[in-house]
Amino acid sequence: MKSEILYPGAFPMARVHLASGESLKAESGAMVAASPTIDVESRMEGGLLKALSRKMLAGEHFFFQTLRATRGEGEVLLAPTVPGEIVLFEMDGVNEYLVQKDGFLAGAETITIESKMQSFTRGLLGGEGFFILRVGGNGTVILNSFGAVHRLELKPEEEYVVDNAHLVAWSATTSYKIERAASGWISSLTSGEGFVCRFRGPGLVMIQTRNPRGFGAWIRQFMPVTE
Amino acid sequence: MRLTVVIDDDSPNALCFGGAFPPSGAPCLATVTADGLQLVFPAHPSADPRRVAFDRLAVGAGGFDHDHLVVKWDEEGTPFTLYLKDPDVIRAFRTRASGTLSAELHRTAEEVRRRRMRRRAFLWAGLAMVGGLFLALWLGSDRVAEFAVARIPVSWEESIGEASYRQFIMGHTVVEAGPAVEAIDVIAARLTGALQPSPYRFQISVVNSGVVNAFALPGGRVVVFTGLLRKADSAEEVAGVLAHEVNHVLKRHAMVRVAKRLGLVGVVTMLTGNEQGLAGLIKDLGIELATLKFGREQETEADEEGLRLLHRARVAPEGMVSFFERLAEQDAPQLEILSSHPMSEGRAERLRAEIARLPRMTPEPVPVDWVHVRASLRAP
Repeated sequence: MKSEILYPGAFPMARVHLASGESLKAESGAMVAASPTIDVESRMEGGLLKALSRKMLAGEHFFFQTLRATRGEGEVLLAPTVPGEIVLFEMDGVNEYLVQKDGFLAGAETITIESKMQSFTRGLLGGEGFFILRVGGNGTVILNSFGAVHRLELKPEEEYVVDNAHLVAWSATTSYKIERAASGWISSLTSGEGFVCRFRGPGLVMIQTRNPRGFGAWIRQFMPVTE
Repeated sequence: MRLTVVIDDDSPNALCFGGAFPPSGAPCLATVTADGLQLVFPAHPSADPRRVAFDRLAVGAGGFDHDHLVVKWDEEGTPFTLYLKDPDVIRAFRTRASGTLSAELHRTAEEVRRRRMRRRAFLWAGLAMVGGLFLALWLGSDRVAEFAVARIPVSWEESIGEASYRQFIMGHTVVEAGPAVEAIDVIAARLTGALQPSPYRFQISVVNSGVVNAFALPGGRVVVFTGLLRKADSAEEVAGVLAHEVNHVLKRHAMVRVAKRLGLVGVVTMLTGNEQGLAGLIKDLGIELATLKFGREQETEADEEGLRLLHRARVAPEGMVSFFERLAEQDAPQLEILSSHPMSEGRAERLRAEIARLPRMTPEPVPVDWVHVRASLRAP
């Protein structure tokens, strides 16, 4: 499986080349086009209950698609729904990443994906919902973001504060705490940041340069609501 | 002699941080020997394999779920950190370690257990809280909705009602002056003069339409259609309808309906949000306040309170009953006012019984020449 990003920037697309017999897991609806040698199988990753929990609780689509090169090699073009960067990275079998629910676009067949329940405070205040995806194993993972992706590289014990709406993915070796952005409840709410995550290294934290919720609120002000 | 406990294969099972290793960690193969840890870096050929004795190690728990054993040591002033997750390696590590390290491991394991317990307890408490709130909404939705509505400032109701009124009149003509408007003003003054002090300012508009209906919006706007005025035989009958509508406003019936339709989100918005948020929610759900149907209990309450208001204003309360009864007999169900206020046997009886219960009162006629008012209203 070889992958590359076409049109890097706001409207990118991922091209994945599959050798005969190879397959790829993709977020359902992510496929834009594919060679005629590729078959699409919808499969519930991790069984019905896990798929249901992803659907009901993580808001994730019910199925991941499996795109398999059954009749010889071929390529698949994949794109996310929202404008923003796509990043590829290689999983080494040891590192695991936690991915917020809209961040996963596709991955090699050899990677593992499971829904992970967060702690109550993280689920309630973290902004990613109660369930996130835990991605591990070996092979390529393709993530997407809203805006561009910025990598924060944290050394052991190094801390960084991230507005939770900007989170895309983070190493399982990092830990984080939810905190109020400003001291005092009133200033937390009025500073526009609300709750933030204080990450502690070591590991990578991938953040998106735009805030989907903030963008939604910005759009909403132009829609006639009261009159 | 080296005693290797874990060698399944030579694929990495741990991540090493520090020194020249990449920020995402260097995958390494960690094995536990008799006197310490041995690390090999297959992906980093330039990194020397190393052995670290147990007495140089410090341990703790770390990672997203506190499911990693974090091992730290120092090499000539450079700190290194190893993240271990493989349960076999961790078990071997615990078996081999001794002295202070063993005590530290024990403490770490205790801490992780405590954290997991606490997390589970929090989760259950949270789920119970959310479940309880849902149950409260489901079982006692009326009471929860009323509780939330009671906390809405009147100014929100006014602006939501006003917006809804503006939207409604865009497709209609408001009658600005004339005998009908004057008559409504006289009736409205009689009724509002008899109200208990309330934060609402009532504004009653006459709208040119053949539809036989009247409705109230949150905040004090009431709309009466000329169709209804043409059907009425007296000012007292119109006063009956208005007394009923005014009490929908006073009892905040529209907001209670909205709270129930919006459910948990609506209640939370009412308690913590702002009017823009609430107006947005109402709009999102496509709730038309102008055609909102009230519940049977709300209609009964508006009837009974309406009769009491008529009584206090010294307006003959029979007008309310006779108007609805006559409409029901004459025009069958296509009249809009009857679809929202069905004139069942029960309702008429209840109204008459309620009137009988009120103290004796000599009504004062409403000084309006109703024949003249009716004549002034052309069919639209």
